[in-house]
Amino acid sequence: MKDITKHFPHYFPLIGMFVAAIVAFAVFSYDRSFEILISIVVAVFYVAWGIIHHHLHHDLYPEVIIEYIVVATLGLVTLFALIFRV
Amino acid sequence: MVMKLAHRVAHIFFPRQSNNHKAKILHPSGLTFLILIYLLYQLILTVLPRISPSVLGYASNIFPSEVIRLTNEKRAENGLAPLEESSVLDQAAQAKGADMLNKGYWAHVAPDGTQPWKFFSDFGYNYRYAGENLARDFSDAASAVNAWMNSPSHRDNLLSPKYQDIGIAVVEGKLAGVDTTIIVQFFGSRYTDTVPLVPVAKAQTINNNVPSPVPVVVQTPVPQSVSMISPFSSTKALSLGMVSILLVVLVIDGVVIYRKKITRVGGRTFAHLAFFGMILAIIIILKAGQVNLK
Repeated sequence: MKDITKHFPHYFPLIGMFVAAIVAFAVFSYDRSFEILISIVVAVFYVAWGIIHHHLHHDLYPEVIIEYIVVATLGLVTLFALIFRV
Repeated sequence: MVMKLAHRVAHIFFPRQSNNHKAKILHPSGLTFLILIYLLYQLILTVLPRISPSVLGYASNIFPSEVIRLTNEKRAENGLAPLEESSVLDQAAQAKGADMLNKGYWAHVAPDGTQPWKFFSDFGYNYRYAGENLARDFSDAASAVNAWMNSPSHRDNLLSPKYQDIGIAVVEGKLAGVDTTIIVQFFGSRYTDTVPLVPVAKAQTINNNVPSPVPVVVQTPVPQSVSMISPFSSTKALSLGMVSILLVVLVIDGVVIYRKKITRVGGRTFAHLAFFGMILAIIIILKAGQVNLK
């Protein structure tokens, strides 16, 4: 919790991106290609955000990068499975 | 035995010493396991139609009259005249739907290059303007019409003042081995109609060659009461369950780590919470059914 308040500016772009993705999915619900693109962009952005964030805090380790990649992959697989089943 | 199971559950879902103060399910190995479960389920959904063809499908409850009523309702809301149901266009739409199921495609233009306008001509509809909207796997008419309204090109068709007639077909059959419900919506106005020439974006205007009409028996589909596993609904249920569990585990993780002031190497719990929160919101937003943009 302390981390959130201390590094609040870091979370602004992250939350902003997530909100934008939710809005995009709601608005462009008819365009499957666009939904796929948004999913990929958000997943890549999340990994990039994690790397930059931890690098700035001097606690970037390979296992941290792997964790962000796996989390992003799980999110991407979840969205893809649904988008392709729509 | 019970204690052993309790320890095992705690090891998977709660941060403690045995899992290096991070729930095992949140470790890369735990998350990878979830990914594999997910992929395995998708593989089952893909293979199942080949093994047991009548298990997967989309049960729908769509009447053509309801699609027409909702279409005219949307037109009225936009100050447009209602469309008249044309039995000729109904038959043409039915033929288009049957063509898609027979040839196994889902597009405005068939793989052999057959244009949708051919079906207008085949049934002797001497059109001045013609348009087509397609939708599939919606559970009700309102969801399909709303999806068309949300898509600019379909909306243009639906709200075009150029059209006077409408024909609807709801056809059911198998596409790629999965039971599917397709809605074909044909719009048109005849050469004899007196329609003001108002330009409308993307409303298709095609020259017409008039062939002899071909009679076809139109069958009104009866809503299915067959119990089937919907690939979309079951995937959505699995996703909701999995992401909800992850969110709960992450909240517990965040609270425990904060209270015990544990320092560890790993990703930010709040960031993961926000990420899976977004995924949960999108899962809720996504609905079954799609409209064709091709």
